[in-house]
Amino acid sequence: MRILLIEDDQVIASFIAKGLKEAGYCVDHVDDGLEGLDRALNNGYDLGVVDIMLPGLDGLSIIERMRDKKIETPVIILSARRSIDDRVKGLKSGGDDYLIKPFSFSELLARMHAHLRRFNTAAESSSCLTIHDLSLDLLSRTATREGKKIDLQPKEFALLEYLMRNSGNIVSKTMIMERVWNYNFDPQTNLVEARISRLREKVDKNFSESLIHTIRGLGYVFEKKK
Amino acid sequence: MIRFPNTLAFRLTFWYTLIVIILITVAFSASYFLLKKTLDQSMEQNLIEDIGEFQLLYQKKGLDGVKREINRDMKSDGEEELFFQLFDKDGMRIYSSDLSSWGFLPDNQELIKQVFSTEELIFQSMRIPGEEYEVKAVYGLIAPDTLIYFGESTEETENIITLLSNVFIVILIIVIPLASVLGWVMAGRAVKGIKEVSRIASEIEKGKLEQRVLVPAQGDEITQLVDTFNAMLDRIWVLISEMKEMTDSIAHDLRSPLARIRVISESVLSNENTPPTFRSAASDTIEECDRLSQMINSILDVAEAEAGALQVTKQKVNISQLVQDACELFEEVAEQKGIKLTCRLQKDCYIYGNIQELQRMLANLLDNAIKYTLANGQVSVALTCNRQNIEIMVLDTGVGIPESDQARVFDRFFRCDQSRTHDGFGLGLSYSRAVAHSHGGDIELSSSLEKGSCFIIKLPIT
Repeated sequence: MRILLIEDDQVIASFIAKGLKEAGYCVDHVDDGLEGLDRALNNGYDLGVVDIMLPGLDGLSIIERMRDKKIETPVIILSARRSIDDRVKGLKSGGDDYLIKPFSFSELLARMHAHLRRFNTAAESSSCLTIHDLSLDLLSRTATREGKKIDLQPKEFALLEYLMRNSGNIVSKTMIMERVWNYNFDPQTNLVEARISRLREKVDKNFSESLIHTIRGLGYVFEKKK
Repeated sequence: MIRFPNTLAFRLTFWYTLIVIILITVAFSASYFLLKKTLDQSMEQNLIEDIGEFQLLYQKKGLDGVKREINRDMKSDGEEELFFQLFDKDGMRIYSSDLSSWGFLPDNQELIKQVFSTEELIFQSMRIPGEEYEVKAVYGLIAPDTLIYFGESTEETENIITLLSNVFIVILIIVIPLASVLGWVMAGRAVKGIKEVSRIASEIEKGKLEQRVLVPAQGDEITQLVDTFNAMLDRIWVLISEMKEMTDSIAHDLRSPLARIRVISESVLSNENTPPTFRSAASDTIEECDRLSQMINSILDVAEAEAGALQVTKQKVNISQLVQDACELFEEVAEQKGIKLTCRLQKDCYIYGNIQELQRMLANLLDNAIKYTLANGQVSVALTCNRQNIEIMVLDTGVGIPESDQARVFDRFFRCDQSRTHDGFGLGLSYSRAVAHSHGGDIELSSSLEKGSCFIIKLPIT
């Protein structure tokens, strides 16, 4: 997987590049907007991580020009600006995600995983989602495990669906707040923890194997542990 | 009671119409009195001339000549119009025209005596029972020993006066609606500029700060108002852009080094060779970075929400859905704490606003309510709406807020004594109030210690 990183802050850029390399990605780092655009247009990348304030050309313009040329590579915007307006502008210009500095690397990694996976399996639109012995019927909004029906509230179903769609990848609390509740801020209460623990009671408690796991300090992952 | 519209255009029209009516009335009254006086005088003049003629006739043809002339006059004018009487020096009537159509006609012996002694004319205006019109009469001498007393009905002059009055009424009936319509049109033109200014002002209140009022061509007071208003908008625009730039640069200048610190600590933490003591220092650093960045965020959020109405375009928000989602979101946390969270929502309430700000405002209030309520307590949320307003009530049976602090809980960084044990920066309520304000509403608080608090948000629909 090849990642294009356009970021003029050397400390942050080298940290991201190092982390991504450790995670097994190939990273090209440029610190200038124009050069970044050139790379983005001419080399086939799997994903871009783009800062907004850049010398040469700003991040939003880079994304707009990429989209003009029909380059649909997913792009995660990295920005110190966090107002609602800025976020809306970022997503309108064609960015796929908006991450605010300071960010945690695991958060960036989790979001990258989500977009890489989504981008590669965009065609997937089955009405049934099955992982291990748990399956979700997306039409009737019901969940069954080992043939037993599990009662879920609508939001619990949405939460479980989100975890399952990202199975094997860590999803952070803020990602869950954004995608499941459409809250673009962290209410700073243990809302997500409470939800997950209730969901666990229903999905995992009475079964031999746990599927929802907490990764301390990072988030949650849905997978069958080997 | 009829309520009249309290607008400038209506008042201008009202006063304009009233003044037109008063002016017309004054003009008619003046011409009425003038005309009446002129007619009276010309009648008196006629009477004087008639007496002169009778004197001449008496000298030439004697009493019989006078009597014949009287009869001729009576025939030509009609006996209802005229009467004649002749008296001698003792006040005895020596001749009278046919008085059958005059009913009772009084003669005044006092006046007769007076005329004989002074030899002057005396005019008399009188109303005679049964007569429709006033009668104008005169006493005068036609010879040293003969007095003529004669009069005529004022029918003709009164007919002219009546005609004038009728014309006046007709004109008034035509002019009142005409003046109102004309006044309304003129007032409409006059206040058009003001209306335009107020329309733009209300659009700006909804967030369209780039709007300007078009300057009308004529250089009158309205043009001055428009110019001043536009200049004021330019100034506000500059201030807001400056503020936005400033918050942007704060955001950038503080967040970037913070991001670097966090990144460095994170790489120390993720390095497997890092000794445990450094590891715990690094993780503390990360925690403090997050705290600091959240604090910066909260400060900027409050500032942004306070300038809010002017920056973010508002959209139609299903507030019922929003409140329900918020209740649903906090349900689990409340249950884990042993608090009963109930929501009573009126369905399909909509307002124009900013979804994310409203979400946060609700989340802040619910978070507070649950935070300061002990196990087995209750938190209830209620939403009601009507055509103008929505009202959200968040009620808890928590620790309450002492009266001395109630006025200050909405201030930035203010924290009550009992809240210091909890996380937070004292910005949640200031943020909520800023959002309520930027949506044109407000938050009210009532609370009593140990019993609980009640926050009521009132927002207008548009």
